[in-house]
Amino acid sequence: MNKRFFLIAIPVVAALYGLDYFLNEYINEYVVRVIMNCGIACILSMSLNLVNGCAGQFSLGHAGFMAVGAYVAATLTTVFPAGPSFQSHLGVGMAILSGGIAAGLAGYLVGLPSLRLRGDYLAIVTLGFGEIIRIVILNIEAVGGPRGLPGIPRLSSFFWIYVWAAITGLVLFRIIRSSVGRALLSLREDEIAAESMGINTAKYKVQAFVISSFFAGIAGGLFAHYQGFVDPSSFSFNRSVEVVIMVVMGGMGSISGSVIGAIIVTVLPEFLRFLDKFRMVVFPLILIILMLLRPMGLLGHKEIWQLFRFKRSLKKAVA
Amino acid sequence: MSTEAAKRLLWLDDVSILFGGLKAVSHFNFHLKPRELCGLIGPNGAGKTTIFNLITGVYKPTSGAITLSGEGITQHPPFEIVKRGIARTFQNIRLFGELSVLDNVLISYHMKIGYNYPDLLLRTKRFVTVEADRVKKALSLLAIFGLDARADLVASSLPYGDQRRLEIARALATEPKALLLDEPAAGLNSREKVDLMETISMIRKRFDLSILLIEHDMKLVMGICERIVVLDHGEVIAEGSPREIQDNPKVIEAYLGVD
Repeated sequence: MNKRFFLIAIPVVAALYGLDYFLNEYINEYVVRVIMNCGIACILSMSLNLVNGCAGQFSLGHAGFMAVGAYVAATLTTVFPAGPSFQSHLGVGMAILSGGIAAGLAGYLVGLPSLRLRGDYLAIVTLGFGEIIRIVILNIEAVGGPRGLPGIPRLSSFFWIYVWAAITGLVLFRIIRSSVGRALLSLREDEIAAESMGINTAKYKVQAFVISSFFAGIAGGLFAHYQGFVDPSSFSFNRSVEVVIMVVMGGMGSISGSVIGAIIVTVLPEFLRFLDKFRMVVFPLILIILMLLRPMGLLGHKEIWQLFRFKRSLKKAVA
Repeated sequence: MSTEAAKRLLWLDDVSILFGGLKAVSHFNFHLKPRELCGLIGPNGAGKTTIFNLITGVYKPTSGAITLSGEGITQHPPFEIVKRGIARTFQNIRLFGELSVLDNVLISYHMKIGYNYPDLLLRTKRFVTVEADRVKKALSLLAIFGLDARADLVASSLPYGDQRRLEIARALATEPKALLLDEPAAGLNSREKVDLMETISMIRKRFDLSILLIEHDMKLVMGICERIVVLDHGEVIAEGSPREIQDNPKVIEAYLGVD
């Protein structure tokens, strides 16, 4: 933790706080809603990127972890007897954090089968897990079952969503740019070689799942406290696929790519609303064209600032 | 016995492995002395790579025991065996292709990670110094192989011969007591093979380690190995100095057949 960190972090937090006020006062609710969804999508895609993009473990159950986080946090602030004491910014923050931890534990459980499975087979297991979570919630009367859970305090503001998005980005980025990150990347590249170079592959697969699902749980908690209402259908298989699209489109292992992917997948359908019923034909078409043009995702394995640096050094080489 | 045992760095005692009904390696007895350069040869399918996989823990033997510096490593997983000092390369290069040359070497230092999650999340002094030391160490190792100038390149973009050298550098970064090279000369031209011979002799002297070498190129094996073990159908058919092996009728039979 150095001076430079605070020199950047304090203005960013202040700017977010100011923007929060500005959005609430001057921008219409629809646009604000899209911006909030973007923030939540960013947390989801960045966190999934650690498992899918860096460690190369294909997970299709991210919505399941999000659901765990959303329901645990929402239960703490509504159903739980101590409910009222949670109805403050601090209380909601604690609830969301608990949701993240619960999702992390779920991630540990799902990480275990990943030790034996890889590729398509792991994808099926994680898909199954996501569905199990959804069905279990569907059958718990205490949290409303299929009717959903209403009356959640709407306390996750623009500020909180984007502060968490920044924390997610920072934590994941620092993990990737460390020995642990290199260990994860080596899993993606060649598991046998990784093991032969002293990497405990089992340990790092589980760690990747735990960290990734923790942040998915956080995203879920923020989502619940933004919507004020959750129901199991918000966490269907479609949601998992959406997050995978964000990661693949942005670039495997690229945190900034995930952010761009999340923004495109969230915002583009909104811009296509004028197409009415053809919207969901044109949107996938655009995705297909994007992937054909950039098969490695928009940024590939690189971060966005690395692309610019690369171009600069090329120019130097030419001159 | 005790002095004899002390001379053994790596010891395979009556090791066998069955794949279904097939005896890939049967009753294999072998030892590697400290600072020895030993060759393991034999026709295709003789079980050479299987032996490497047994030593490095990729396969578990059906029977027998493997000992490294007096410690049993038979049931250890591969990453534990590397920690104890056995590094390897692969017959078909297995680099981390999409990662940089530097990262390929840095990954080998991971088992002595030297910092924990709070360190890396907060970028503490410990994190910064450990990382800087690692990079410095990795670059000086790459310099030995003439790869330091290309440390930023993606590993898969290197020419084939350099990829082989990088794989050796990556194995050496684990600081092994024994290095297992699986057909390091495969796919190299004759000029590169001569370079490789020099590199292997240099490694042994400079890093003070034992080398076990699988190789089909007889000129290379005969040129640098002190001792050669010949394997056929999973069994040792001959063992001795390059001279003895060359004249051994059994070896000639295994390679060329008899009329």
